[in-house]
Amino acid sequence: MKDDQPSAGAAAVVLTGGKSSRMGRPKALLPFDGEPLIVHAVRRLEPLFSEIIVVAAAEQELPPLRRGSGQALPVTLVRDQVAYQGPVAGIYYGLQEARGAIGFVTSCDVPFLSLGLISHLLSQITNYDVVVPYWEERLQPLFAVYRREVAPLLKDQLESGELRPISLYKKVRTREVGPEEIRRFDPEGLSFLNMNTPEDYQAALKRWREQRGPAEPAKESASVPCTVELLGVARLRAKTREVSLALPQGATVAHVFSALAEKLPTLVGPVIAPGGNSLASGHACNINGRDFVRDLTVEVRPGDRIFIISADAGG
Amino acid sequence: MYGFHGRLLQIDLTSRSHRWVALEETRLRAFLGGIGLGTSLLYDLAPGGVEPFSPANPLIFTTAPLVGTGLTTTSKFAVVTKSPLTGFIADSLSSSFFALELKRAGLDAIAITGRAEPPVYLMIGGKESGELPVVEFREARHLWGRSPGETEALIRSELNHGGVRVAAIGQAGENLVRFATISNEGRHAGRGGVGAVMGSKNLKAIALSGNSEVEVADPKGVDAIAEMMRERSLGTVTAKYREIGTVANLAVFNRLGTLPTRNFQQSTFDHAEALSGESLTENSFSRRYGCASCTIRCERLFKSLTGAEQRLEYETLFALGPLCGIEDPEAVLQAARLCDQYGLDTISAGGTLAWAMECAEKGLLPEAQRLGLRFGKAEPFLEALSAIARRSGLGSLLAEGSRRAATKLGGESAYWAMHVKGMELPGYEPRSLKTMALGFAVSPRGACHNRSGAYEADFSGEVDRLSGDARRGGLVAASEDFASVLDSLIVCKFLRKCFTDFYAESAELLSKVTGWSCSDAELRRVGERINTLKKLFNVREGWQPEDDWLPPRLLGEALPTGVAQGVGLTVSELREMIGGYYQARGWDKNGFIPEKKLRELGLG
Repeated sequence: MKDDQPSAGAAAVVLTGGKSSRMGRPKALLPFDGEPLIVHAVRRLEPLFSEIIVVAAAEQELPPLRRGSGQALPVTLVRDQVAYQGPVAGIYYGLQEARGAIGFVTSCDVPFLSLGLISHLLSQITNYDVVVPYWEERLQPLFAVYRREVAPLLKDQLESGELRPISLYKKVRTREVGPEEIRRFDPEGLSFLNMNTPEDYQAALKRWREQRGPAEPAKESASVPCTVELLGVARLRAKTREVSLALPQGATVAHVFSALAEKLPTLVGPVIAPGGNSLASGHACNINGRDFVRDLTVEVRPGDRIFIISADAGG
Repeated sequence: MYGFHGRLLQIDLTSRSHRWVALEETRLRAFLGGIGLGTSLLYDLAPGGVEPFSPANPLIFTTAPLVGTGLTTTSKFAVVTKSPLTGFIADSLSSSFFALELKRAGLDAIAITGRAEPPVYLMIGGKESGELPVVEFREARHLWGRSPGETEALIRSELNHGGVRVAAIGQAGENLVRFATISNEGRHAGRGGVGAVMGSKNLKAIALSGNSEVEVADPKGVDAIAEMMRERSLGTVTAKYREIGTVANLAVFNRLGTLPTRNFQQSTFDHAEALSGESLTENSFSRRYGCASCTIRCERLFKSLTGAEQRLEYETLFALGPLCGIEDPEAVLQAARLCDQYGLDTISAGGTLAWAMECAEKGLLPEAQRLGLRFGKAEPFLEALSAIARRSGLGSLLAEGSRRAATKLGGESAYWAMHVKGMELPGYEPRSLKTMALGFAVSPRGACHNRSGAYEADFSGEVDRLSGDARRGGLVAASEDFASVLDSLIVCKFLRKCFTDFYAESAELLSKVTGWSCSDAELRRVGERINTLKKLFNVREGWQPEDDWLPPRLLGEALPTGVAQGVGLTVSELREMIGGYYQARGWDKNGFIPEKKLRELGLG
């Protein structure tokens, strides 16, 4: 395999097709910082990659891959040809799709990834076929850089039932990046902090809020305080009557739903649509008891009271 | 014929005779079943100008093409007659096993005239499949005075037939309370006083035991659609009905300033939280229940402090709660139980009592003052409900409904009578729901939220709910036509949002049931035809333009509280909306139906 200068033009490959069985609902749809987790992941990677490939299972539900403004994200979506074959399949399908020679592979459930660390991993590929971090006593194949040329080997593995990615590493030139090297870019190794259970998810949300904490006072004066009143199914599900939110200036109704979904994940599905920024069918939104909202881009004003109610007033 | 039996059973109680009449396919296709077929039969069978309590006024029960097909929410039947409350058409729906048994009895409709002496109940049941059912007139003196529930149990016991299904009246029907219901399995054909018409005929109950299965044209096709609708019925669209029931409306309406309170003096209730569906669910929930073959199962039974279970839905909660200023959930549960036992329409009962409370507080009704009847006082309120059903004392006046009671009382009391065409308003405040205001004003059966779901436009953001205009006319007409098709197929309104294209999907379903080749346009036309015939019946019975109007309070007082504070309804606003409605209907500017329109709809 030849050497080159590959990191420019590298693709990011984001795997989303896992079963999320311990989480109990699809990870890609989990609300995070006001947007679905997959959108969050893509946006985080965007500064570093000219090409982003999302690999999903054949029938998997995904939210619209759009920014808050509604603009589509520059994403290529690939569907697994055979569902749930594990990470080898995801890496294979993603690399196959890459236009360039190199792919950085990650999953969608690592919200604290360090772009500095990723840049370093990419820079190490020059004389290797795989660059994989070693963290907490194990290799991290879903936060690693692969040459597209290893794809045929992955295909062979799939066919022979070798479903562990690390089997590949013995067959090609693999560079392991150890903990000390990692800490130079990501002192706590937060890049490897993924979410497999609802508890992981809640902990990640908490961490995210804490991380943003120092910036909050500056934001505070520019924030839009509002209150969401929950009625009917929403109230019974959430076990609370109202929620106070502080949204960024210019926030829309869609932001309200996202922030609410983040605070009350139990509403996602029954009341808030998967994806987090709109209501599930059968529910309606009214601002201040006056205006029923049909347009999600309606801006929220300071002091607004936003009612989440059943859309059907029959009875 | 698929989907129908093609038979009308005509019963004359005076002569204790019956006859079978073939129902022609053209009538069934033009009006379907349920409300549509009932309206068509009423128009043909009722002598013009008939008195509602006259033996000649037909009391018509109808089934419908979708009943018994397995499609969720379709176990419903209709009762149609001339209303003793309004003097116009009364068309009421009820549901569950009685509906299925009516279809299995091998008929599409029963039209009952005459008057039995002494009181009877009817037992209708076939001996073998394919045979016409036997009609028996059975002694009912021992059932007189019994509640519908007791009557049902006694009839089952004496017939020694656990599978028999019974619809019965309670004391309110027997005593000709003008808003008495017909009850089956704890449910009611509730509005317009159909139970009083049954009582006027000395008919205590109808018992059914059928064994005639009706065939559908494409069983596999019907099953496939039924399965699809079953799945849709379990989605988030129906979550309100499945997880809380209609009592969920109360808190929402309170926040939106649309909860009629203290006889429409306000549109918010200070004690709404205690009566909210959410609080009831958290504090008193006992059981979820549903009609036969329904997947949504919207009914909620709540446990009172005595341990008794009581059904409660929004209209009952509103009418026996905020409308009368009653804040104690226990009192509302007790009142609802009394209405069930006596067979009283809870909306008209609450509306009439709220009128009496206001009259008492204003010094216009001394007898009510003596009884201590006033807003928020539970004990005299509960006593008055019993008095109405028994027509004892003040109850005799209140049993007439608010319009007649106000006419008898005189003075300014008519100002406080909150009715349209004599029917008390349901729990939707017209001043803050302007499309619904129009729907109430023009509805053929009086103030009604079921024959016109006009509130949907107000709650959707499609229109400004606080301001009316002529455009609402088209919305109300479309809503009425939609309701008429639902009520004639019959499909429960709580399934309506599970259709992606209601008319197209219903036409396909009806085609698979009947073997007809129905289009969505044909069904739309059916809806318009049914509403036009209802209006035509009313015109024949003396309808005048002033009957399409709202109570003066709504036009004279702005709302004093809540998010709609300061909002009123002006005469010109209402006139403009009514004009828009007549125009959308193709009627003349006074609301009469031109011959051309009648011919266009096959009614000329």
